[in-house]
Amino acid sequence: MGYEPLVNQNPLRVLNLGRGSKQLGLVMARAGLGKTALLVQIALDSILRGNRVIHVSIGESIEKTKTWYDDILQFILQEHSITRPHELIEMVAQHRMIMTFKEDTFSRPRLEERLNDMILQDIFKPNCLVVDGFDFESSDRSTVEDIKEFLESMNLQAWFSATSHRGDDRVSPTGVPAPCHEVDDLFDTVILLRPEQDATIQLEIIRNNGSIPDSGAALNLDPSTMMVKEG
Amino acid sequence: MKQNLDQVRNIGISAHIDSGKTTLTERILYYTQRIHAIHEVRGKDGVGATMDSMELEKERGITIQSAATFCTWKDHDINIIDTPGHVDFTVEVERALRVLDGAILILCSVGGVQSQSITVDRQMTRYNVPRIAFINKCDRTGANPYRVAQQLRDKLNLNAVMIQIPIGLESDLQGVVDLVTMKAVYFEGEQGDDLRYDEIPAELKDEAEEKREELLDAVSMFSDELMEVMLEEQEIPEEMIHAAIRKGTLSLELAPVMIGSAYKNKGVQSLLDAVNMYLPCPTDVENIALDLDNDEAEVVVSNNPEDDLVALAFKLEDGRYGQLTYIRTYQGVIKKGESIINTRTGKKIKVGRLVRLHADEMEEIDEAGSGDIVALFGVDCASGDTFCSKNINWSMSSMHVPAPVISLAIKPVDNKAQVNMSKALNRFTKEDPTFKTFVDHETNETIVSGMGELHLEVYIERMKREYGAEVEIGAPQVAYRETITRRADFNYTHKKQTGGSGQFGRVGGYMEPLADEEYEFVDEIVGGVIPREYIPSCDKGFQASMKKGTLIGAAITGVRMVINDGSFHAVDSSDMAFQQASKGAFREGYAKAGPVIMEPIMKVAVEGPSEFQGAVMGSLNQRRGMIVGTFEEGNYTVVEAEMPLSEMFGYSTTLRSLTQGKAEFTMEFSTYKQVPKSVAEELVKAYQEQQKEA
Repeated sequence: MGYEPLVNQNPLRVLNLGRGSKQLGLVMARAGLGKTALLVQIALDSILRGNRVIHVSIGESIEKTKTWYDDILQFILQEHSITRPHELIEMVAQHRMIMTFKEDTFSRPRLEERLNDMILQDIFKPNCLVVDGFDFESSDRSTVEDIKEFLESMNLQAWFSATSHRGDDRVSPTGVPAPCHEVDDLFDTVILLRPEQDATIQLEIIRNNGSIPDSGAALNLDPSTMMVKEG
Repeated sequence: MKQNLDQVRNIGISAHIDSGKTTLTERILYYTQRIHAIHEVRGKDGVGATMDSMELEKERGITIQSAATFCTWKDHDINIIDTPGHVDFTVEVERALRVLDGAILILCSVGGVQSQSITVDRQMTRYNVPRIAFINKCDRTGANPYRVAQQLRDKLNLNAVMIQIPIGLESDLQGVVDLVTMKAVYFEGEQGDDLRYDEIPAELKDEAEEKREELLDAVSMFSDELMEVMLEEQEIPEEMIHAAIRKGTLSLELAPVMIGSAYKNKGVQSLLDAVNMYLPCPTDVENIALDLDNDEAEVVVSNNPEDDLVALAFKLEDGRYGQLTYIRTYQGVIKKGESIINTRTGKKIKVGRLVRLHADEMEEIDEAGSGDIVALFGVDCASGDTFCSKNINWSMSSMHVPAPVISLAIKPVDNKAQVNMSKALNRFTKEDPTFKTFVDHETNETIVSGMGELHLEVYIERMKREYGAEVEIGAPQVAYRETITRRADFNYTHKKQTGGSGQFGRVGGYMEPLADEEYEFVDEIVGGVIPREYIPSCDKGFQASMKKGTLIGAAITGVRMVINDGSFHAVDSSDMAFQQASKGAFREGYAKAGPVIMEPIMKVAVEGPSEFQGAVMGSLNQRRGMIVGTFEEGNYTVVEAEMPLSEMFGYSTTLRSLTQGKAEFTMEFSTYKQVPKSVAEELVKAYQEQQKEA
């Protein structure tokens, strides 16, 4: 497709994205630090590698979710010279579908039904799912296990976001904060977004595709564009 | 005429079809004593509601044309523009929004925020129209105003705050609790004329307190004074709350939510109070005009009746007594007998009869002041023209007019119909800028084009009813376009030497794709290789070539033509020769520039029960649609997709049978996109066959 240079230059390569098709990832941060921006970049990376992505947005509108993609794509277009920007934009639109749910209507059976609607009719066959806004606080371990099992059965890579709270000090033995401190072992990759003194946001990779990463690869989010950078 | 502009309101009533807009307008006119009896939209008395002045609207029970009507409520002059509720008529809605200062957004308490409300609301946001939401039909089974208020927040991103709560719901709807005054309001008497204020019913006290807190929290953002009083826990004066709501509403950062049932005569008077209290008067809104004598520099109109006149003609109607032109004045005063100038044509016009309108009845007036909406008789102009007094030459900024996306051929059945048809078409094209008509010289057919199937259907229907012009219609045609995808050089010599004076011209240069614009001509000729006087000829020749592409004969767009070389002959070169050479050069370049066919893509939203989501998505997918996303709420789902217009003919029937009539869809033009190869091949083949036959 001609987007290999874009894919290879992406700092997210550190995360071994695309190695295992069933990879389950988690992005955690306090509100407003850039979880959605990171999820969108992960989704775009997948799309540029030729995959189809379903972006499940819980509690957000289609329009707003679309705007995230448009904005991040604009930053990518600004940073890299791409000969036919319209084709890239079009390609992304064709490889992405947005599903939005109200907070109280999202559940595994609903998701299963929707995905089946599309897959069986050959409308859209996703390889990757990003789920933004899943309520970990009121979901117990078995609910998350159930969803994980379903995603595995569908052979889908999936990324979740979760919001941690300042006042909540509970953490898992590996350092994953609440509300995911009791389910973090279900995820192959866990990333924490931490604000630094100099206003940058560090990506702390707690687990990288099942293994504890060496401390060499440091990534951060540029606070003005929310784009992942090395350094 | 009101000298005090604070007491003038120009409002629109916008809503989803069937949410009761016409009924509400009818009730407003009744309570403001402009009419003396209430008729229902689809009433048994066969009279129909007063605002639906066109026969067709009466029959279909929908409102198509926006008639302006005037009424007074508690010392305030209110001009109501009734706006259409169907998306195919959006230009009507948009034009109405242009002259409005504020609006009431009506929602059905059962249906809630439907896809059409989203479209209408988007338009209101575009024109910065402050609005009050009125949740109507609270007497209906399944009414839930709280859910609708939440939808206003979720789907329309409005900061919707309830300023009333209902007393009883569905068949038990008795009245409302006013959260500002903390009083219960009952609407009594046969027509709800008698308002009775009472204590809040005991069972609603807690809820009212809670909702009032929410209201105060929301509006305190707009008033430091109110915030202070709240912090000091003092008694809050009502006026202070009203002022804060008004401030929030005017800044478009707050949408007060009111409830009622127009049909059951509940809540309408309170809504009128709210119009007076919270919606802007003409001076609250900044309107911009363009100074035509000063390179279209933007100027803010003053609203001052002492200044020179600026008025916008926003609507034409062919009434019983001739052409009626609805105008809105932005500054100055328009007086009977005075001369004004149409700044588009430069023509001087004498103001003959000046009237104020109430749907079908009219009241003669002598003058109308700044901010007013009135109508002129017998003035020849087009919709969107600006009138000024002779000292200034301004134009109210142009309105957003989309290009037509669909067309069909019409043929009058007999001679009489032929004459009437041209009369009707002449009128409609003046009234509606998105409705266009022309004669195709190749087929000799009259073609009409517009924004959608229904849009054209309504005009054909009107032609028959109002003008007695019966026409046969052809199959609808999509307005395809052609464009180029890469740069290509050309170098073409036009030479003709067949006795007499010859023709000679050579044009060289290149063409390249041009994003977001139709055409650009760049002259890079140096050293006079093409003489100055023939440069416009080249431009002309290229433009003529743009009218018809070689693939399917559609208009070409998005091309930059650059000329940088050429040669001429002292005797044989002429305007004609260079036009011909340019046409040849265009043909030569076009063939090499990777021409493609573009088709209109519509933004479609299908809304219906979730159980049909799979079927709906399947049907969109089959029609070459690209599903953008789905939105699920309770048992309702909205599927948003981008669809080629050519695939949407007859979709309403398909959708109806797929979903047992429980789903509906809206469609608006989004953009032009390249058609897929297989479709392009078919189109080219069909075009070639058609050419052969001709």
